[in-house]
Amino acid sequence: MRKSRFLILVLALALGLLLVACGGGTTTTTEEPAAVEQPSTAEEAAPAEEAAPAEETAPTEEAAPAEEAAPTEETAAPAEEAMGDKVQIRWFVGLGTGTDPQQVATQEEVVADFNASQDAIELVLEIVPYDSARDTLATQIASGNGPDIIGPVGWGGSNAFYGQWLDIGPYIESTGFDTSVFDPALVDSYQTEEGQVGLPFAVFPSAVYYVPAYFDEVGLAYPPAQYGEMYELDGEMVEWNWDTFTEVARRLTIDANGANAVEDGFDPTQIVQVGYSPQWQTHVNYVGSYVAGAAKIVEGDAPGNYSVNMPDSWKEAVNWLYDGMWGDQPFTATGPLSGAPEFGNGNLFNSGKAAMAITPLWYTCCLGEFRDAGLEFQAGAMPVGADGQVHGRVDADTFRIWKGTQHPEEAFTVLSYLITTGGDKLLPQYGALPAIAEKQDAFFEVKSQDYPFVTPETWEVFKAGLAYPDAPSAEQFQPNWNEAWAREQTFFDLIQNTPPSDLDFDAEWQKMIDDVNAIYNKD
Amino acid sequence: MFEELNRGFQLPTLKTFRNMSPLKRREMRDGLLFISPWLFGFLVFTLLPIIASLIFSFMDLKITDGILSTPDFVGLKNYQQMLNDPQIWTGGESGTAGSLWITIKFGLISLPVGIFVPLILALLMNSPNLKGSMFFRSAFYMPYIIPFVAAVFLWGGMLNPETGWINRALMAMGVPRAMVPNWANDVNWVYPTYVIMGIWGVGNAMLIMLAGLQGVPTSLYDAAKVDGANAWQSFRNVTFPMISPVIFYNLVLSVVFLFQYFLVPLVVNNGTGRPGGATMFYNLYLYKTFFTFQNMSYGSALAWLLFVLILIVTVFMFGTARYWVYYAGEGRA
Repeated sequence: MRKSRFLILVLALALGLLLVACGGGTTTTTEEPAAVEQPSTAEEAAPAEEAAPAEETAPTEEAAPAEEAAPTEETAAPAEEAMGDKVQIRWFVGLGTGTDPQQVATQEEVVADFNASQDAIELVLEIVPYDSARDTLATQIASGNGPDIIGPVGWGGSNAFYGQWLDIGPYIESTGFDTSVFDPALVDSYQTEEGQVGLPFAVFPSAVYYVPAYFDEVGLAYPPAQYGEMYELDGEMVEWNWDTFTEVARRLTIDANGANAVEDGFDPTQIVQVGYSPQWQTHVNYVGSYVAGAAKIVEGDAPGNYSVNMPDSWKEAVNWLYDGMWGDQPFTATGPLSGAPEFGNGNLFNSGKAAMAITPLWYTCCLGEFRDAGLEFQAGAMPVGADGQVHGRVDADTFRIWKGTQHPEEAFTVLSYLITTGGDKLLPQYGALPAIAEKQDAFFEVKSQDYPFVTPETWEVFKAGLAYPDAPSAEQFQPNWNEAWAREQTFFDLIQNTPPSDLDFDAEWQKMIDDVNAIYNKD
Repeated sequence: MFEELNRGFQLPTLKTFRNMSPLKRREMRDGLLFISPWLFGFLVFTLLPIIASLIFSFMDLKITDGILSTPDFVGLKNYQQMLNDPQIWTGGESGTAGSLWITIKFGLISLPVGIFVPLILALLMNSPNLKGSMFFRSAFYMPYIIPFVAAVFLWGGMLNPETGWINRALMAMGVPRAMVPNWANDVNWVYPTYVIMGIWGVGNAMLIMLAGLQGVPTSLYDAAKVDGANAWQSFRNVTFPMISPVIFYNLVLSVVFLFQYFLVPLVVNNGTGRPGGATMFYNLYLYKTFFTFQNMSYGSALAWLLFVLILIVTVFMFGTARYWVYYAGEGRA
């Protein structure tokens, strides 16, 4: 009898364990999701194209580099239905900006605001570190447990999940959402073969960030504050083009003895400051778009007849940067240098070791360390390309709805809130310029509080940058996007880390083109 | 260590179950009851995914398709693709070496180091002439308790070609800049770099070897000495046979680990395969196929190839064990 009781007890325990094991992550609580802090460093927070703890590289467009790092993970247990009659809508953050601790706090605030205004929907926030966000989202979708809302996410992150987005056109129509507040061109940019997959939310024009103090030290004029302005170099007014930019960057590249890259005796092994940092815009498509101009790089319309159509000017642009890393007169950091802790582990401009950086506006989210170190930055106009045109880049982030959502209407209600009312709090934290034009001034007022030293002229430079978008985007759709993008990234990683003595640039470029062609035409 | 495995394991048949005494049967039933939670976990979280991955490998399934989708059955297409995949066999992107050869090549470099360095260290630790052996044991073991990723980051910093203190020290000693290694960024140096990083964590293997060494009866050494054996003969005829099960254990684990080598190239070289594709290890390619390229079916096929390769190599090693692994009490198997 005693033994039977014992066996029953064992059986009960075993069943209990099974129930716990099978319990999964479902929950019916309506409380705030438990926040699980993930300690991290700024470097690790640097957005990386591939899920790689990239030391030196780390870039993507939309991904806001978290400086004080913080891929904080706040995992809200997935739940289908909320307690009572509220519908839970899960908001997934991590594919782009939004993982910085300050951003997380603001997002929590927005969630609280929304939930307080609602009796039908409960919004739940899920923060996933950038480096693992794509894997996590892919796994969630694979298991049929995808989130309802995903964002902020840019073109790259979106294309990584091509085919997963809900056409919100019908919901725009049924709810009468007023799209007239946006530039129609911006609305149309979200019209794809999948339908209307998003609405404009945040735009990030690019500019030349620079440290005035470093220019003063070597007696150089600042980059022009207006597009079309000339630049004064050695007493002459010259065009602010990439040649001028290169010369200026070389003079701002300093070695341990104080010599710059154009001076005799300059020691490239002892660089203590570089003239220019691409600041995570380290991908063939980014460099090509900035320096040579946007281009549609995919030809064909079906597997079997796709081909890469990268212009020669892109190759030249990338080669220009390669020479800037490894040439006799360097002006930018090699992979090992930019990946070194002294140079910010890839967050080079923030480390104060770069005089200029070219990157979109989202980078203003993460210059706290730079500011706290007593440094100041301003922004200048983008250089003129070899074709006489200015080629900028405008990143655009928005929220998207997963097409597998069980609650599309509720998800659209949340999306509408986030891009309008919620945007008032979110956009300044994301360092994002509102797509709604009338909100743009308020955005810059908030930014000015973060960076009181930044002049109104600098903010105007960013506004003016909206006129120079990369169309089509550097992150445009490519067949088998993830693999193609990764291959292009691999090429860039190679040139960042391999001196010319060990690398045949032309051969490696051709190899990349051949591989990407093959990737495009995979089934 | 693998004595039981070598001896073979038999599941009870219905006949043997019937022939059991009631007490034996109850004991067996109770035993099964106790391990049932683990069994359940194994079935659901290990066996089921293994079977699922086998099924996926015959499908055309992207990771974002979701489990509720109805993927197409493609038969052996993924396996055919695998046979023609240049990335596995000839190097694909890099055109240098395939992922499989990279893995094997690195294994051939790394394995001897991974076995002999801990063995030599254990022999030193076991020497009666060593003073402060406790300190040294702790010192050698200590790196093992540092999280591996943290250690890899540390090494990455130390071996940074531009700012790492090792290269700085070399240059300070007069080595010209052009001569200092580019470590993880140089095709010729990247594997030695990884091996050096691996040596950092040999403390655990050393400890296992040391335990094996301390289990060798001293009477055997005394007998060898009486027979006039010198130190080498003593090691070859007494020490080595007696600790051969431990070496075999470390060897099997090392081989499996090397086939699954992944973390270091992912962290140090960004998982991009640089330099020149030299670090696109098989398991890294598998990971990228699965998660970055989201090709669940092909990733599953790659995983099965890895499984089969590891199985073949492991079975081969067990086959050779009879010739060099000695289990006390039963003679050579």
